[in-house]
Amino acid sequence: MNSLLSATEKRFGVGRQQLFIAFLVLPSFVILSGVVFYPFVYNVVLSLGNMNLNRIRDWELIGFRQYVKIFTEPGQPDFYSVFLKTIIWTGVNIVFHVALGVFLALVLNQRLKGKSVFRTVLILPWAIPQYIVALTWRGLFNYEYGAINLIITKYLNLPAVEWLRSPTEAFIACILTNVWLGFPFMMVVALGALQSIPHELYEAADIDGARWHHKLRRITLPLIRPVMVPAITLGVIWTFNNLNIVWLVSNTGEPSDNTHILVSFVFKAAFNFYSFSYASALSMIIFVILLAFTLIFLTKSRATEAAY
Amino acid sequence: MRMIFCIGAMLGILAGCSPPKSDENRVVIWHQMRPDEQNVLQRQLKRYMESKPGVTVVDLYKETETLRSAYIVASIAGQGPDLVHGPSDPIGIYEATRTIQPLENHLNSDFLTDFDSSAILWYRGHLYQIADKIGNHLALLYNKKFLQRPPTTEKELIEVSKIIQDRHGYTAGRPNVYGLSWNYIEPFFFIPFYTGFGGWVLGPDGVTPTLDNPSMVRALGFIRELRDKHKIVPNEADYEIADALFKDEKTAMLINGDWSWAGYLQGGIDLGVAPLPMITETGKWCAPMTSPKGYSLNVNIDEKKIPLVLDVLRFLLSRENQLETARELTTAPTRKSVYREPEIVQNEILKNSLLQIRRGRSMPVVPEMRAVWDAMRPGYQAVMGGALTAEEAAKQMQRLAVRKIREMNE
Repeated sequence: MNSLLSATEKRFGVGRQQLFIAFLVLPSFVILSGVVFYPFVYNVVLSLGNMNLNRIRDWELIGFRQYVKIFTEPGQPDFYSVFLKTIIWTGVNIVFHVALGVFLALVLNQRLKGKSVFRTVLILPWAIPQYIVALTWRGLFNYEYGAINLIITKYLNLPAVEWLRSPTEAFIACILTNVWLGFPFMMVVALGALQSIPHELYEAADIDGARWHHKLRRITLPLIRPVMVPAITLGVIWTFNNLNIVWLVSNTGEPSDNTHILVSFVFKAAFNFYSFSYASALSMIIFVILLAFTLIFLTKSRATEAAY
Repeated sequence: MRMIFCIGAMLGILAGCSPPKSDENRVVIWHQMRPDEQNVLQRQLKRYMESKPGVTVVDLYKETETLRSAYIVASIAGQGPDLVHGPSDPIGIYEATRTIQPLENHLNSDFLTDFDSSAILWYRGHLYQIADKIGNHLALLYNKKFLQRPPTTEKELIEVSKIIQDRHGYTAGRPNVYGLSWNYIEPFFFIPFYTGFGGWVLGPDGVTPTLDNPSMVRALGFIRELRDKHKIVPNEADYEIADALFKDEKTAMLINGDWSWAGYLQGGIDLGVAPLPMITETGKWCAPMTSPKGYSLNVNIDEKKIPLVLDVLRFLLSRENQLETARELTTAPTRKSVYREPEIVQNEILKNSLLQIRRGRSMPVVPEMRAVWDAMRPGYQAVMGGALTAEEAAKQMQRLAVRKIREMNE
């Protein structure tokens, strides 16, 4: 073994230390290759092919035809309208997740009686499996027997809403469910960041006569930013790719495939329509969109600079 | 020494990642059976395992859509269960993806003689499925607490529904008991109306969709009228809602399939099952799609394991087990000899179920049917949601079906 290492050392100019590190890294590299790199490369190749139900075993490469089809052929649903819905879905969700999360974190960061109870209750949506949440909310949105319409009609004297029958309302129903599900994550992250801000800063601000909104703008928000920016980035990626809620609340994109976001449409294209290559091309487009967003957002927000 | 330890540990980790070896004494069945069906299956499998020490048979439930897609994906990857159980409609897709294998070389003709011809599914010259139940069909279920005699025409259906609704009163403008309910989401539940108005999903060639025609427009218009004009069906209903309404005695009649009947009986509903009514305008019965429901053999099974898998299959299809299943689930058996049993002959639900099967139409198993379902679903939902007129929906269904079939064959 020693002679082998010496030979490697001489040949490649690497020391025992580096070799040892390489051996430690190798298992994770092999596993990552199997579960990330290989599927990714396979997906790229598949997106350039024509794999569908009839060509599932003897598909061939056809170039960029699937990509051209996505951008030029009006589909059911159409790519551009689904993309727009995905942007709205992600934007609205993230705004509410962050706003609600930070607000509740600020409240919980105060001296409050029964704080631990509130904290536990507020984290509950996050602790319940998404499938259960989605199906429960679907029941709540039922036109005649759902609790939401019962409250609207009985206590607010307003007309019942066709939550799951009309495209816009069904989409709003999905967003409401995901807002409920997603704010605890941002709350927990923000709370952690708030607790790390030194009290001396607030004391100094108090001496200077700063009011609460000055402290929020000049101390709290700048100091939680390094933590919140990566959390928001993650939140955008998760929300953009959140299949479960749309799929289960709208029952596979109902009504009439009008509530799809890109990722649910990819799933439908692959596993309901068996258009595997089309779905792969669509998922590559999603990947590029999210990669571009992450790079731009992290650069513009200078999150890493602030952190280090 | 440290280096050797690391390499050893690494190899150990990698060894843990290798795929498990196929167990020759373990048979796996994937199915989409409902809980009461599962109970019967598991009891039968338990008896089998007791009679064959050392053999394990595992059954695994998957939701209908998941079963189909998961099976295809698993089988293409060289994995999957030994037997897949379900309705016959995905057989065309399984054949196209070469994920199931022909059964004719494994089961001799003596064994097959006793089976009803509709239970043995031949497709493109091969036997791909052998059924333990036939029908898998919709019928008109009614609660005898609300009506003693089921309606036989659509006019009677509307009339009797209104009487029941008026008799039980209204709360905030909503009937306390609806006349009729069914699933507005899945087009499978719409087919009886379409056939009642004289339509059928595929043309004479068996592969061309026929969804844009006066029958479709009339059928879609009719179901809209049931809700918006006659107000005898709920405003919104998927499978679960319709099912819950019937169980809670909030709907007098329900359109549902044979898989659900045993559950209602066990739930204490005074259940009646009747064939779906006739549409007087056309003089045609509302004909549901019928299909066998049975087992297919995974293409990946090891040659050495096939005899054991077939032994399990023969056991599950045995006369005794079929009788037990029919008795407990009131589903139509597939062995002709079982039909002569007194408990089958004298069972009113089974008698009406068999009549409904005779009035039904076989579900096409061609892969194009997949495109037809996917094309019908948005239009059907849009009509019930008020987003499209019947004419627009019919046009959209046809256009989508043609496009999906073209894409499928690209």
